[in-house]
Amino acid sequence: MRFLEKAITDPLEQFLDKVLSFLPNLLSFIVILLIGSVVAWVLKKICARLLRAINFDKICERTGTSGVLAKGGIVDSSSVLLSRLIAWIIMLVFVIIAFRALDVPVIAQFLDRLLLYIPQVLVAAFIVVVGYLMGIFFGRAALIASVNAGIRTAGLVGRFVKFTVFILACTMALEQLGIGKDTVLVAFAIVFGGVVLGFALAFGLGGSDAAKSFLEKRMRGEQDRDDISHL
Amino acid sequence: MTLTKEIDSRVREIKKADILIGIPSYNNARTIGHVVRAVQAGLAKYFQGRKSVLVNSDGGSTDGTLEVVHSAAIDDFQSIMVTERSQSFFKIAAPYHGVPGKGSAFRTIFEIARALNVKACAVVDSDLRSITPEWVELLLKPILDGGFDYVAPLYQRHKYDGTITNSIVYPLTRALYGKRVRQPIGGDFGFSNKLARFFLTKDVWQTDVARFGIDIWMTTTAIANGFSMCQSFLGAKIHDPKDPGADLSAMLFQVLSTTFDLMETYRDVWSSVSGSEPVPTFGFVYDVGLEPVHVNLDRMIDQFRLGVKELAPLWQSVLSREALKTLRKASSMKNKEFHISEETWVEIVYSFAVASHWNVINREHLFRSLTSLYLGRTASFVIDTREASAPAVEEKIEALCGLFEEKKSLLLERWVNKP
Repeated sequence: MRFLEKAITDPLEQFLDKVLSFLPNLLSFIVILLIGSVVAWVLKKICARLLRAINFDKICERTGTSGVLAKGGIVDSSSVLLSRLIAWIIMLVFVIIAFRALDVPVIAQFLDRLLLYIPQVLVAAFIVVVGYLMGIFFGRAALIASVNAGIRTAGLVGRFVKFTVFILACTMALEQLGIGKDTVLVAFAIVFGGVVLGFALAFGLGGSDAAKSFLEKRMRGEQDRDDISHL
Repeated sequence: MTLTKEIDSRVREIKKADILIGIPSYNNARTIGHVVRAVQAGLAKYFQGRKSVLVNSDGGSTDGTLEVVHSAAIDDFQSIMVTERSQSFFKIAAPYHGVPGKGSAFRTIFEIARALNVKACAVVDSDLRSITPEWVELLLKPILDGGFDYVAPLYQRHKYDGTITNSIVYPLTRALYGKRVRQPIGGDFGFSNKLARFFLTKDVWQTDVARFGIDIWMTTTAIANGFSMCQSFLGAKIHDPKDPGADLSAMLFQVLSTTFDLMETYRDVWSSVSGSEPVPTFGFVYDVGLEPVHVNLDRMIDQFRLGVKELAPLWQSVLSREALKTLRKASSMKNKEFHISEETWVEIVYSFAVASHWNVINREHLFRSLTSLYLGRTASFVIDTREASAPAVEEKIEALCGLFEEKKSLLLERWVNKP
């Protein structure tokens, strides 16, 4: 009898005690998740209305953000996207609170680490978005300047500037996340070293005639320029 | 802005004057001596007895411009038929403060005009080779004797000279504000004390007005605020060859951004104007033999083609599909047959004005991207008028102005309702 008690009944009782003591935590977990869902949904609706009221979509159109999103294949309006983002952030907070309510040490430890990592993820995401927008801006500026300077490879110059800025931003974002330390320095060295070497080879080997004619033109004082006074 | 100590003490010394002539400069030592002498001769010949001040507002020249201004003087007044030498001629030559550019130089000139309480002012470019003493009379007499507030210049120019004026600024200003001011950005103007004081009340001195935009800003401000204006025929405008490195797209950007900004400021004025009327013109109009102008057509057309190839995706949010189709068609034409019609050009200019108003893309990108289209249109104009005489070219420009006026209702519609 004592053997049966020790071998089966006691562990079973202990398990039942644990389950019974865990049940309120589980109930709290479910209730918190439900409340979180409702709060997130309500706030999403309020935010969407507020953003529409202040003409947020028009502001995004003017700043070019909507255009960038459309280029990325996102068809929803900026106000819908922002209100959805806010709802998900609120939901994430409630999920973390709910998991903490479970009172499981392993999950608590994981959540602590996750919580510390979230700001870095947000900063990295911000760097990527700003880098993308800056890439478009500087790429377009380089394209227009190259066209106005009559450079035949203007398109290539524009794309090169655009992608260089974006890749640089991605590298910085990765470093922010702790992935690939010192990558910024290495990326700089590779990109600029490569470009300088590329130009040196192209100009020295492939473009010696072009260089000669360019220098000759400069020495002659650009005789084929216009005399038109535009103003 | 307050005047520098040097200028202020000179102004206190002079106290009051009747006439002020301003000359903005930057490294113009080669030509400014002639301009100063012409101004001095003009004042001695036509405004004897009036207390006059010549102001050289310099942008920090390093070639001795200021020294040339100080030393330049008429040695022999009898040679210009002036027997009695005027004792009331003063010079102020000093660097200006502020954003580097012609507009900042003008601001200093306006400030001195206000401080000296002059009756009439004029400004002339420092790189002029064709200025004569008569210019001084023609720019100032309408103010002093005719009661006008603003005198715009009227020149005899080569048919390919002043292409931004001929294809954009003149037709657009005329269609918008209804006054036929032929050289709205000529560079040489006369204006009253009242108008100089009015200019100074405007807070524009940190914008593109402080640079190339000053000329169109002055003309538009004068028209839109109802100041009485006229134009004076000055003869040929021949100036020192421009710096080949001068950036055309920067010029276009500054002139267009000022013009389109003024459209925002004076929307109520221009939206109610239809058609246009001539402004009173003074001076004896005569023909002048002008030196030929070398034009590299192939380079212009090549740059237009490059623009269409690379910038068409950017223009999709600015121009209509039809306009883009026309431009693509033009870019595939042979150089000899190359043509961009007046209708297409009017559509392009109005579309860029609307795109600037609705902030479709970054304004600097927008204006600078117009450079290749402008070169294409200029090339087309040169091809069309190769054999044409000066009056025939003038007729063509007048026809373009007519189209701008005709299509103004479309501009207004798209200005109000986003296309």
